[in-house]
Amino acid sequence: MVNYIIRRVLYMIVTVFFISIIAFILINLPPGSALDAQIQRLRQQGGDISMQQINDLKERYGLNDPVYVQYLKWIGGAIHGDFGQSFTYNAPVGELIWSRIAVSVILSLFALIFAWVVAIPVGVYSATHRYTVPDYIVTVIQFVGIAIPEFLLALLLLVFAATVLHMDAGGLNSQQFQNAPWSWAKLMDTIKHIWIPVIVIGAGSTAWLTRVMRANLLDVLNYQYVQTARAKGLKENVVIWKHAVRNALHPLIMSLGTALPTLISGEVIVSIVLNIPSDGPLFLASLQTKDMYLAITFVLLQSVLLVVGNLLADFLLAWADPRVRLE
Amino acid sequence: MAETIPSAQSTEIRPTGEDNVIEVLDLHVHFFTTLGVVRALNGVTFKIPRGRVLGVVGESGSGKSVTGFSIMQLVQHPGKIVKGQILLKARKDDQPINILKYDRHSQQMRNIRGNEVGMIFQEPMTSLNPSYTVGNQIQEAILLHQTPDKDEAWRRTVDILRRVGMPNPERIARSYPHELSGGMRQRAMIAMALSCTPSLLIADEPTTALDVTTEAQILDLMRELQKDIGMSIMFITHNMGVVAQMCDEVVVMYLGRIVERASVEEIFYDPKHPYTVALLRSIPRIGLSKGEKLEVIKGGVPDSYSTVTGCPFHPRCPNFMPGICDKVMPAETPIEGNPHHTVRCHLYPGSAAEAEVETSGLAPGTAPAAS
Repeated sequence: MVNYIIRRVLYMIVTVFFISIIAFILINLPPGSALDAQIQRLRQQGGDISMQQINDLKERYGLNDPVYVQYLKWIGGAIHGDFGQSFTYNAPVGELIWSRIAVSVILSLFALIFAWVVAIPVGVYSATHRYTVPDYIVTVIQFVGIAIPEFLLALLLLVFAATVLHMDAGGLNSQQFQNAPWSWAKLMDTIKHIWIPVIVIGAGSTAWLTRVMRANLLDVLNYQYVQTARAKGLKENVVIWKHAVRNALHPLIMSLGTALPTLISGEVIVSIVLNIPSDGPLFLASLQTKDMYLAITFVLLQSVLLVVGNLLADFLLAWADPRVRLE
Repeated sequence: MAETIPSAQSTEIRPTGEDNVIEVLDLHVHFFTTLGVVRALNGVTFKIPRGRVLGVVGESGSGKSVTGFSIMQLVQHPGKIVKGQILLKARKDDQPINILKYDRHSQQMRNIRGNEVGMIFQEPMTSLNPSYTVGNQIQEAILLHQTPDKDEAWRRTVDILRRVGMPNPERIARSYPHELSGGMRQRAMIAMALSCTPSLLIADEPTTALDVTTEAQILDLMRELQKDIGMSIMFITHNMGVVAQMCDEVVVMYLGRIVERASVEEIFYDPKHPYTVALLRSIPRIGLSKGEKLEVIKGGVPDSYSTVTGCPFHPRCPNFMPGICDKVMPAETPIEGNPHHTVRCHLYPGSAAEAEVETSGLAPGTAPAAS
């Protein structure tokens, strides 16, 4: 077991290392850099910038070095927790991401919990009441949930919140709390606002998980051991939840492996539409402005979360199914 | 479900005074599929005396398994018991009760399942839940019916595993099903079914998926336990060899009807129904000379949505008599001089007696709308 974990962690380090190289190269491929954009801006403002100044800037940011030297400098710093400097924000990348990560994680975590709490019971109900009117209704809602674009759902909920509930929707806080320090009142205010993004972010995966739960449970219900459980004299509820659902959870558990990276960037569109200060919009902006170190740090962070998430999912699966061995 | 029961009582058939663990009377089971109604059982009547083994024989689709599941009230949707009675007399001095009076989800029905009537299935590989240990699954039944004490239930679990011939029962109890072989799993299933010492065991082709050596061991074990516990067994199989080894009495089923019933000796030495005769001829025998073809029953079981007029076996029957076999449904008639051996065939006198009452496949007025 310990051997297994050590081996997996070593693989993970190698994987992340290679991802970082590829990501670095990819981000350097398009011409131009954040610095060019900055120079452009300065020129437009009327400032005359000499070649000398440009070269000085490039020298300072190390842009004259070959790519592999740039990479080695960056990865050397990254190992020590220094992810470089953002060109556009003029601030350390680490600080920028950390200042917003709490919002991202809370949003996505709630969305994840929302999806599971809704999807499992609804999926089970749908499967055990197959081809009844409620099942058809659930199925229609599922397809709408999968098909509807997030931004549209976000806008619809905003309109609903503003016109029906008469609340100051959008953002994570009301006006007066926007820049206030954290307090009890601000927390309550946040809770009042957070349901809109949570529903929007969770809608797609809820619908998908419900569908998977239904399909899988229908499969499992045909297995002989479900009939064995009934023949023992167990209540139908126990038969379903203890003997069938437990064996139908595998794909849901495996989907958790890919859920971790979405914790920091899964809500890009929603955060932009709803004006939420999370990491998603920052990631998008960094790509648009070619803010190299910021963008690549995001990519690296997500790949770390992906491999860690997969490891955790494997552990969960081994815990849930005795036939899975971690060796 | 419940709305179908009154019709069962309106044609009440009196139970016999004998000591039968189970009496199935005029049982009709229909499957209301989108393609039409499939009449899986068309008036099945049989009884199993206490401590005896009844073999239920027939091809796939003859209704053997549905009969077993009906006794548990576990016929799968869209199947419904539309008519009939199932009288259970768990103890010698009990009054027989019609278990079809109970709703299939009721507490009374659940008390019967696993406790009074145990069941083992055809597929030992899939009949145990892969996520729980063997011991946990057996203990579950004991906790449900016998004792609320977990330690006591665990002791009984290990005991019953030892009794079905498991080496090192403590270890087996802590094993998961995938760690056991097919034969071991079937032993575990038998242990589970017998954990609450039921008065009736329904064995639905318990050895079909096993190799012959394991099959022989399992059959020996079942015979032995049957004598020890004194239970009755309803042994569902299509294997005549197994019947010879296990059963006291035999009913032969064809398309949801019993076509012949007799003691095991009479079935083998003096079969009456052409279908039984054909079944027996299709058993491979040692000593059959090389190159000689094994006899097969010509044709196949007809499509279950259609109804055959007259005797349902007539399209395949070597003794087909035009004008009667394809027109009139034969009644169940005792063989001359032996009231315990009955057959449903026009070759034997008295078979046309019921002809007006019942026509093949159609049981008018008994089918409620699928709900």
